[in-house]
Amino acid sequence: MMLLQLNNLFKWVQSGGQRIFLLKDINLDVEEGEFISIMGPSGSGKSTLLNVIGMLDNFDEGEYHFLGESVHNLKEKYRANLYKEYIGFVFQSYHLLDDLTVKENLEMPLLYKKFKASERKAMVADMLDRFNIVGKKDLFPVQLSGGQQQLVGIARALISNPKLLLADEPTGNLNSQQGEEIMDLFKQLNNEGVTIIQVTHSEKNAAYGSRIINLLDGRMI
Amino acid sequence: MLKHSITIFLRSIKRDRSTFFINIVGLSTGLACVILIAIWVRDELAVDKFHENDKELYQVWNRFGEAGNIKLVDWTPDMLAETMADKLPEVKYASPFIPSGWLGSVPLTISEETHKAKGVFAGEDYFRMFSFDFLIGDPEKALSEIGSMVISESLARRIFGEPQRAIGKALRWNTLNTSETNTIAGVFKDIPSNSTQQFDFVLPFERFVQLSPNIGRESSWTQNAPITYILLKGGTDVAAFSKKIEGFSKAQNPDVQADLFLKQYSSNYLHGNFENGKVAGGRIDYIYLFSAIALFTLIIACINFMNLTTANATRRLKEIGVKKALGSRRKTLVGQYFGEALLTAIIALLIALVLIQLVLPQFNLITGKELSIPFNVSTIATVLGVTLFAGLLAGSYPALYLARFNPIAVLRGKLKKSLNEVRVRKSLVVFQFSLSIILIVAVLVVYQQVNYIQSRNLGMDKDNVVYFQKEGLLQQNSEAFLTEVREIPGVRNATTAVQSFIGNQLNNTMGVRWPGFEEGNEVDFTDMSSTMGLIETLNLEMKEGRSFSKTYASDSTQAIIFNETAVEAMGLEDAVGKTVQLWGQDRKVIGVVKDFHFQSFKETIKPSFLRLVPDHRTFLFIASIESGREKEVLAQLENAYAKFNPGFTFEYRFLDEDYQVLYESEQRVSVLSGYFAGLAILISCLGLFGLAMFTAERKRKEISIRKVLGQSATQVAVMLSAEFGKLVLLAIVIGLPLAYLLTDDWLKDYAYGISLKWSYFLGAGLLAMFIALLTVGSQALKAAAANPVNALKEE
Repeated sequence: MMLLQLNNLFKWVQSGGQRIFLLKDINLDVEEGEFISIMGPSGSGKSTLLNVIGMLDNFDEGEYHFLGESVHNLKEKYRANLYKEYIGFVFQSYHLLDDLTVKENLEMPLLYKKFKASERKAMVADMLDRFNIVGKKDLFPVQLSGGQQQLVGIARALISNPKLLLADEPTGNLNSQQGEEIMDLFKQLNNEGVTIIQVTHSEKNAAYGSRIINLLDGRMI
Repeated sequence: MLKHSITIFLRSIKRDRSTFFINIVGLSTGLACVILIAIWVRDELAVDKFHENDKELYQVWNRFGEAGNIKLVDWTPDMLAETMADKLPEVKYASPFIPSGWLGSVPLTISEETHKAKGVFAGEDYFRMFSFDFLIGDPEKALSEIGSMVISESLARRIFGEPQRAIGKALRWNTLNTSETNTIAGVFKDIPSNSTQQFDFVLPFERFVQLSPNIGRESSWTQNAPITYILLKGGTDVAAFSKKIEGFSKAQNPDVQADLFLKQYSSNYLHGNFENGKVAGGRIDYIYLFSAIALFTLIIACINFMNLTTANATRRLKEIGVKKALGSRRKTLVGQYFGEALLTAIIALLIALVLIQLVLPQFNLITGKELSIPFNVSTIATVLGVTLFAGLLAGSYPALYLARFNPIAVLRGKLKKSLNEVRVRKSLVVFQFSLSIILIVAVLVVYQQVNYIQSRNLGMDKDNVVYFQKEGLLQQNSEAFLTEVREIPGVRNATTAVQSFIGNQLNNTMGVRWPGFEEGNEVDFTDMSSTMGLIETLNLEMKEGRSFSKTYASDSTQAIIFNETAVEAMGLEDAVGKTVQLWGQDRKVIGVVKDFHFQSFKETIKPSFLRLVPDHRTFLFIASIESGREKEVLAQLENAYAKFNPGFTFEYRFLDEDYQVLYESEQRVSVLSGYFAGLAILISCLGLFGLAMFTAERKRKEISIRKVLGQSATQVAVMLSAEFGKLVLLAIVIGLPLAYLLTDDWLKDYAYGISLKWSYFLGAGLLAMFIALLTVGSQALKAAAANPVNALKEE
């Protein structure tokens, strides 16, 4: 089943009267259950593409369909509802909130949806269990290693059961062993049915995916 | 959600203790100022407003003079009240009133025991008009008999133990050269402190009419003494009525020169100043002044909050970005930050309430009031309202500013410091410091003016002059007593006089005619009557001619001495030796005395004359004492007093104290504004301190690079300080002209004011700059002293 579709998508910025294209004529179909890696040199538009797919960023021309909805025609509010419901994010530098404990960080996305406190508690407990971090639930991010932090970051992204997981260089700040563990986890999640799109520099990580998209100067090649 | 937000809030407080501390200190002092001043303002606004008939209760004033030189006087003819009630259908009740200031402290005697109390004379209608509740007796009838009187609850307790026992008892009173007995017909509850009329007992006004000859006056349309109060019938068109009564007195008697002027009774307290016959401010000016100060202080504190929160925003950017990426809407974030500001304001409020409880006794001492936090619905609503306002004001900019960020830019650390944001923050600092500078100048000027008033040469001695009432047996043997007093070593001189010569309630007359006098050119003179020796006792200086002397027998009835202003007002050249008429009788000008101040410095010195009166027309003893010997002389005075007047206590006042009373409100304003300005500056500096701290932190990398490239720590510190120095300089440039306009305007109220010196403004500017640089410098030095390697490694 088709999850999302980008048709002739352009994104640019104006600089000194000239258009500088960040994304140029992107056409991309993503089926449910795919594991896609976006690759390319620095500045090629990988992260921009990921942000556009994640609806965190706008584009200037073209069409974007997500689960049959025309994202390019949606108002901000509906778009926010859409990504809240179906998309989870994993960041290179984890982006856990320093003032919150592991448990509280996990709970945060649920606060923006209509869950009761008891439901939230159950979902958080479930996630802690699943990622084997029950013992760390009351620690603050600074008390965890990088790998552990990213684990929490992924758990947070998955807690509201998204269809699509977007990861921007998820292993970029980790050592090779931690990185491998994370990629194994992605593979496992993908096997359980989660669609994943990741941005990566590493061939090895890209190999975990089912498809690789190469970008250069904003174009797919 | 709420719990989550509170968790984040509490943990961020824990992390940024200094920011929180600055915010709380600033906001709580700001709120405490506002609440204190609000309590004070509320109390001021309520003065005299508690009378049930407040809306219909008016005072009738006498208006003298031509357009351009109009003067309002509250003294009116004895029969004005009664005649108005008789002839004007709009008037429901009317009462003449002699205030307690006329009588001084009146001795009341019952079975050989004497108690002193403050008394007034009032008409029969008085208690029908004013809402002073009765404990016992009928307010309608209490004053209808000339032989009856009413006393206050506390006076009744003082004399009789129980108010019930007072009824029917006869008290002998002794004032204005008269001693009579009145029977107590009623006891009224003590007068609330927010009434301007304060007295312990009331005598029927007929008694005053009866005793008038004893003080050399007669009851007529051309002699003014009592204040006249009237109560209008509900629904009266006040403007039309006011117009109608203008010529009322003149219509009753063609010799009357004054028009009548109507003014609501309760408006006197706040709007009691007149300029050329029109109401021109009064205490209301202080209400405006302090309300402005309170608002300024709160705004300054809120600005701190805004500045520190936005400066702190870099630390919270990640939170905002993550939340946005995880699906938080802008509205939710705005709500969260407003909530934080409100919570801070509420914590500040709790601390403010504690602060208020702590400083309230001191505040009451300064304001001379008995204020407390009134715990009722309207107060709580007001206090919460102010807190809410402060919270919303303080939270507005940070909330809208923070929630606006683009999440991607934030998360990728790409957020550019917009010029706009820096500009807003800088303008807030400038605004804040401009307010502080205005306050510094204002305080300096008020202080200088009050100082000037106190140290200015009055033209007479006030410091070592005491006066006391002539009462009891002293009324008969005052000459013998005076002789004894003059012989006490350390007493320079002593005399008896009609009044104490300091204050605004002095006897005036227009009954002087001089060579070259023209009809319509009357001058209002202050009448300073005494027995022999006043000029010597007060140490007045003669400009021309001589003082009164026993060697000239005619002095006691036919001589007069004018002050300089009077001679000028009459246009009399070579005054000494000329003959003038006082109330139709010839008086020879034997001297001119140099001008001396007997009224507030807000007034110009008035024309006045001195004359001798027989001893039995005087009510006061005045004695001047050699400086340094006050204590022993007063002890001896007390002995002499006890010998001549057994059964009475010796109660004296220094003339100096009366003089202080004239400037009571200036004194209070001076002290209070000093405190509040100090607070405002403190809060501003706290804010600046916080900002400097953040700037130093943000510039760690820049500072490190500069140091690696060879800049010295001192140069770095100077660079950082200069950044804020420029802002304060701009604030000075903006604040000083405004301060000039404000203080210049204030000083216009004073006939004898200081002139503004540029040094006040320079001083204020330097002070602000000094404090600011001190605050910033400490942070700058700290930042500059840090090891550059540490900062660079982190990047």
